[in-house]
Amino acid sequence: MGDFKFAKDKLAEVVGALKDYEVFAPAAVGDVLRFKEVEDASSVSFDFKNTNVPPKELMFPETETLFKFRVGKTDIEPAVPDESKKRLVFGIRPCDAMAYTIVEKLYSWDYPDPYFEKRRESSVLFGLACSEPVPNCFCTSLGGGPGSEQGLDALMFDLGETVYVKTITDAGDTVAKAMGLEAAADAEKKAAAAQEKDALGKIKRSIDTEGIPEKLPSLYDHPFWEQFSDRCLSCGICTFLCPTCHCFDIQDEMEAFDGRRARMWDTCMFPEYTLHTSGHNPRPTRKERTRNRISHKYSYFPEKFDVIACVGCGRCINYCPVNIDILDILEKSKQAEAKEAKTA
Amino acid sequence: MVDETILREKAREVLARDDVRRLIGWKRGTYGYESAPAVLKDASQADELIFDPTCVQNPASFITLEEKLPVPRGQDPDTRKVAVLVKGCDSRAVVQQLVEKAYTRDGVIVLGVPCTGVVDRRKAQKMFGDTSEPVMIKEEGDKFVFIIDGETREGPRAELLADKCVRCRFPNPLVYDELVADEVAVWGADEFADVDEFEKMSPPEKWKFWEEQFSKCIRCYSCRNVCPMCYCLECVVTKQKPQWTRRSTDVSENTAYHIQRAWHLSGRCIECGECERVCPVDIPITTLNRKMTRDVKELFSYEPGVDVEAEPLLSCYNPQDPEEYIM
Repeated sequence: MGDFKFAKDKLAEVVGALKDYEVFAPAAVGDVLRFKEVEDASSVSFDFKNTNVPPKELMFPETETLFKFRVGKTDIEPAVPDESKKRLVFGIRPCDAMAYTIVEKLYSWDYPDPYFEKRRESSVLFGLACSEPVPNCFCTSLGGGPGSEQGLDALMFDLGETVYVKTITDAGDTVAKAMGLEAAADAEKKAAAAQEKDALGKIKRSIDTEGIPEKLPSLYDHPFWEQFSDRCLSCGICTFLCPTCHCFDIQDEMEAFDGRRARMWDTCMFPEYTLHTSGHNPRPTRKERTRNRISHKYSYFPEKFDVIACVGCGRCINYCPVNIDILDILEKSKQAEAKEAKTA
Repeated sequence: MVDETILREKAREVLARDDVRRLIGWKRGTYGYESAPAVLKDASQADELIFDPTCVQNPASFITLEEKLPVPRGQDPDTRKVAVLVKGCDSRAVVQQLVEKAYTRDGVIVLGVPCTGVVDRRKAQKMFGDTSEPVMIKEEGDKFVFIIDGETREGPRAELLADKCVRCRFPNPLVYDELVADEVAVWGADEFADVDEFEKMSPPEKWKFWEEQFSKCIRCYSCRNVCPMCYCLECVVTKQKPQWTRRSTDVSENTAYHIQRAWHLSGRCIECGECERVCPVDIPITTLNRKMTRDVKELFSYEPGVDVEAEPLLSCYNPQDPEEYIM
């Protein structure tokens, strides 16, 4: 595909040139960053590391209406997203884009999910390569990297005064042309390659995932989980802020005679998640819940979809208030000795 | 100054007792400026314990987090004690939990740790940046000395202390079986300057402020779960039948959640600041709680978590209580 560039002080013009797209980019409220629809192109900036809330919410919002209904009527009004308007996700980090490629395996599996799929299909992803990874980034252990192209339509490198844009798909190419970008020279390509190499050297944390998916089931009853679960708060930070966590709850909400069926993020770290109507809870303590979070990502998901459901963005480590560190858990799981299978 | 050797020795003695089930304290974190809460079950683990300005967490939160599963038929319930290390502020949580009869006094062993203040991770990150290695922090006079990735850095104590420490009036534990170090001098005073500042806003400005803050909330409930006073077995916001608060996130439901929590903590919040520390989207939650704290103090001359013999505010009645809001 193509190689383009633009001057960084022309960022607002470049984004503003796209009249046919809804553009989403990181926006700050105080110190907190999350992706929002761009209303004023001059507010778009490359001055951020990772957003607090991952852009999974652009495909899978915190809360969304599935359909509306009215008491006494038999017909429902579906609320499948409108795909006529193209969407541009501008400045998504490579790890978060890679997460889409993982989550869509599930959402296009046995029952294709039109809500996720329509949004995903109508979105063009313009990634922003990382020059300053954060301390708990470990994307390189999961097949990603600061310049990874997985899931992206184009990848941008912030080279200081110039931004180098490498288009990866036809959709990316179309958008780059619509933005009116000029062709890049070898100098930009070289600078981008140097930046990527430099960023790779700044990633300090890693895990060798070899053998983990196969080993975790043998540690099902192992006491090592308690080293971590004993201090777990059972809150939703690690899962809500995870770009690959995709669980939801469905609730009907009524206002007088009008109602909607909505779905919202749910988390296996809440006790209610597995609570049966009978009152029985098959995951009654934090031990079972911690085990499930790790095992789902590193064992059950790869068993079904051949890919670990983790991209190494480090958010679950960065935001955990009690320092439950997934890399620490995985290392300890490798050291833990699997108990011999119980024989009858 | 806390001598970690003595702290570990005392913890080892406690953990070796037959009537002690676990001990909660602090250990070194895997990265950055904060320690990790430590839940130890064996005397051999005592050397993991630390105490320094990274020990921001409130160990009292973890006493009530432990699930109480039904005891299988034919077995006796585990009645062994839980031991807990507490700073002065943390000890207020133990006091208030005892006042509310969350557990009995002889069910816990409290090891008091006089404290001269802990570092606010966010302030340190702004001053020195992030790191993927655990940071060592020492207090030296009016400075904190950091060892970050092998390099020694210094910062003024006043600028790096957690907000709760700047106004700390209780650096020494208020309830304990044993202190692990000598008591320290009180340095702080609390004039509620932050609440005064907040109250300068007009009602529409306040509404706009909270609307923006609550719109960020992702309802992870970390503020509730870390709170040592939020130990209800069933919380009103997660109750399904009947459902009082919707699970969907929007500014209205999020606001309902935060207001409910603030009300339920009035006369109970012991100001350990954990709710605000853990929030992944930086909502200034303690501002709400501190407004309630001041009102309770002014209206009822009541301060929670300072007297083990006190009655809980909302379950005692005094004919002299003000009732202007009714008239």
